Amino acid sequence: MKLEGSHDIPVPRQKVWAAFLDPEMLRQAIPGCERLEATGDDEYKATLKIGVAAVKGTFEGKVKLSDKHPPESYHMAVEGSGGPGFVRGGTVISLADLEGGGTRVSYSADVQVGGLIAGVGQRMLGGVSKMMADKFFGKMGELLQAAA
Amino acid sequence: MKPAVFEYVRPASLDEALDVLHQRGDDAKVLAGGQSLVPMMNFRLARPAVLVDLNGLGDLAFIRPAADGLAVGAMTRQRTIEKSAVVRERAPLLAEATPLIGHLPIRTRGTVGGSLVHADPAAEYPAVMVALDAEFTLARKGATRRVPAGEFFDTYLSTTIRPDEILTEIRLPGTSPQAGAAFVEISRRHGDFALVAAGAVVDVDGAGRIGGARIALGGVGPRPVRARTAEGMLVGQRPTAALLAEAAATVMPETDPPEDIHASAEYRREMSAVFTRRALAAALARAGVQV
Repeated sequence: MKLEGSHDIPVPRQKVWAAFLDPEMLRQAIPGCERLEATGDDEYKATLKIGVAAVKGTFEGKVKLSDKHPPESYHMAVEGSGGPGFVRGGTVISLADLEGGGTRVSYSADVQVGGLIAGVGQRMLGGVSKMMADKFFGKMGELLQAAA
Repeated sequence: MKPAVFEYVRPASLDEALDVLHQRGDDAKVLAGGQSLVPMMNFRLARPAVLVDLNGLGDLAFIRPAADGLAVGAMTRQRTIEKSAVVRERAPLLAEATPLIGHLPIRTRGTVGGSLVHADPAAEYPAVMVALDAEFTLARKGATRRVPAGEFFDTYLSTTIRPDEILTEIRLPGTSPQAGAAFVEISRRHGDFALVAAGAVVDVDGAGRIGGARIALGGVGPRPVRARTAEGMLVGQRPTAALLAEAAATVMPETDPPEDIHASAEYRREMSAVFTRRALAAALARAGVQV
């Protein structure tokens, strides 16, 4: 499943770049993220509690950041599994200056979802994934503006 | 497939049901017709600790004329709505949409309230309620509140209902007796969830101008989409094919459709205009105006 999108955040690029690499900011912005602990350089262990309607599940997973080109882009790889199924994928996150200040954050992700949730929830997966991505970038924007 | 272990409660009164939710709301799920929840439990995707079965609450199943509109109990079966003469008379859009829900056995068991709280964005009832400006009564222990349909649906399978609340009643304001209503949808097979669904209610005044128009769509975003721009373009105008097409095209940028194996987002967006136009033309035809 491919997911693409972009969000504009009215904060200078250098600050946005720092925030998108800050585990505490990421933890607060990732929907349902309860824990995000560093396990190495740019490697984290994550616990996500995700609930959509009656489907609730806890996912344990790993996040790895690579190909960092400050303050332009990096690659984030995610894998996790839990009761309802598993998620594996990666996304390139790119930052660009907006005219008149601010930063455009674009993502281009390739995500695989498997297990029970993929078989039964197929019709909703694309929409729910997009909604969660929107929530994440929206929250990052809020946190950055609150800090500014 | 068998569900995971759960505790089963079958309250004999609404108060008793609200008591259980007051104490255990976060771990509980309310069972209405069970046409979505039970399969999800059998797949073990949903694992509620407590199931609160409302099927013993006969007083939540009713269809009553109210003011110039209609009051419908949340536990009313979809099949009962489908066969109701008073629904056909007072809420023709609801009557039009009902036969498109699933299949006969699903409608025989499925309830109007269950479909609304489940909030599948491709389901028929959420779009109907948003088009008609319905109002939902939500009860919890010691209190009730009313929420307009337009503020009820949040996102995929999510609403603003609290875990300790039960949807008890749906109020539908009356529509003009001269109005025509139509609900049209496209799905891969009959009975499947719609790729795109559109409902319209239109009335035409004595001078041949559109007096009022209500349009809502399902399947094209995380929640039903009310096509207010299109409605605004129609009111006060003489209906022509060109006007309908122009108004219908305005819904496309207001949609945020999902993409899956059945259809691309682009296709769904395109169809949102096509089906809005068809719903409008069919509604106008029923109001006595051929376009």
